[in-house]
Amino acid sequence: MHSQTDNHRWMLRPDVVSTVLNDGAVILDLRSKFFFSANPTGWAIAQMFETGATRAEVHGACRKWGAADAGIPEIDVLIDQMISEGLVESVNTPGAAANGVTVAAWVSPTLSKHREPLQRIMVSAFDPGLPLAE
Amino acid sequence: MTPAVTAPEPCTAAYSCGPVKLSLTFDECTLQKTLDGLLSQYDAPWPAPTTEVFVTIEQGLPPDDIPKPAGAYLRSYRLHVDRRGTHLVSFSNVGVWMDFDEAAKQARIIVPDHSDRETVVEEVEQQLVLLLARAWAGQGWTPLHAGSLIPPVGTDCVLVCAPSGVGKTTLISALLRRGWRTLGDDKVLLRKENGSIVARALSRRVHLHPTLANWFPEIGAIEKWPRYSRWTEKRMVKMEAIWPGQLMGSAIPAGLVQLARAESGPALAVEPFDSIRTLHSLLRQIAIPADTADARPLVSCAAAMAGRLRAALVTVGNNAFSDSSTAGRLEETLRGLLP
Repeated sequence: MHSQTDNHRWMLRPDVVSTVLNDGAVILDLRSKFFFSANPTGWAIAQMFETGATRAEVHGACRKWGAADAGIPEIDVLIDQMISEGLVESVNTPGAAANGVTVAAWVSPTLSKHREPLQRIMVSAFDPGLPLAE
Repeated sequence: MTPAVTAPEPCTAAYSCGPVKLSLTFDECTLQKTLDGLLSQYDAPWPAPTTEVFVTIEQGLPPDDIPKPAGAYLRSYRLHVDRRGTHLVSFSNVGVWMDFDEAAKQARIIVPDHSDRETVVEEVEQQLVLLLARAWAGQGWTPLHAGSLIPPVGTDCVLVCAPSGVGKTTLISALLRRGWRTLGDDKVLLRKENGSIVARALSRRVHLHPTLANWFPEIGAIEKWPRYSRWTEKRMVKMEAIWPGQLMGSAIPAGLVQLARAESGPALAVEPFDSIRTLHSLLRQIAIPADTADARPLVSCAAAMAGRLRAALVTVGNNAFSDSSTAGRLEETLRGLLP
């Protein structure tokens, strides 16, 4: 899907919520109810999409954070995963200012999808879980 | 001679439900009496409510010039809920309509004339639960469907997460009789305060199944207490009646148990959780609407907590509590989750 000619600007979908957890983060898709955990570098890349970023801008930021050229394909894998999971969407807005994300030490970025989604239909507005039969 | 038809008497009622005061006006009193059981259950002691929501409940037909909600904001087995600006509009299976203006703190519930009265009442209850959940969230509280246990000494608690029917109340009862304390068996409110998360009790009542008395005889004959719902034999029992002095007002969550039940295998099995699985457990016990602004504080509260909790999957075998040593081993497990 990706290529050096991909000039799209990608942004996290409005109904995607992300929150920090320990060193990384969790990204919850409120539409599909699936959630994803990201390691610190995966989270740094995901944060770039909060204000919108092109693939080239992500590559540039990752190089500043310590990624070698040989590491670019695995960055693209993560971006492709975010696109194919529908976590980001293509937007026409102009480039935003750098969002001040920093990375302490570069490691391969990861984004893991959790097998079990949260409940799509709930028991009540207080109790989401389907009860066991008594 | 035809008896004179008199208009039903309107009535008002007010309930303190944790941090929210509900002021209700009914166009007839019968429904108020029926809903009293639901609204009286949020009776745990709290400081004065920090907000008030005014609700009118009237008989009639929902407005026909407003589109029915599709459930984009939240869907439950009973409700389809949409957000329209500051309003939450909710429509139930049998046609109970609610329009809750969160900014104005006013709600209107319209109750149809339907032959299945029990279902109508249950769906009015569901609308009020939705209203309360949002009003609590509006005050910075995250509603968590979980029980809790606090050791005999200390203020840290272990949250007990599981869907209804897995055995939260049984586990909690087994530890209450060993001197542990609780904030309740299935509902707490959470909020960040001074850098830590605080859990607060909402109800003084626990939902006990009469057969629990087979294992825990002090429960006695509880059939006289009101049923929790028509779908279960469980009774809503005031904790004071069985375990006096063991309901706490607040505690600091430090541990979490994801409870599971096994039809076969050992009486008790314990498997530690990492923070991701802990977060998953918490998120599965929070009704998260599909609206970013409303979901974000709930998810953020759960994540802030998940990073700090020591957690485990605890699988309890069927009939495990017939062996009195199970409770002792559970107690040891729970203590291992606390600092």
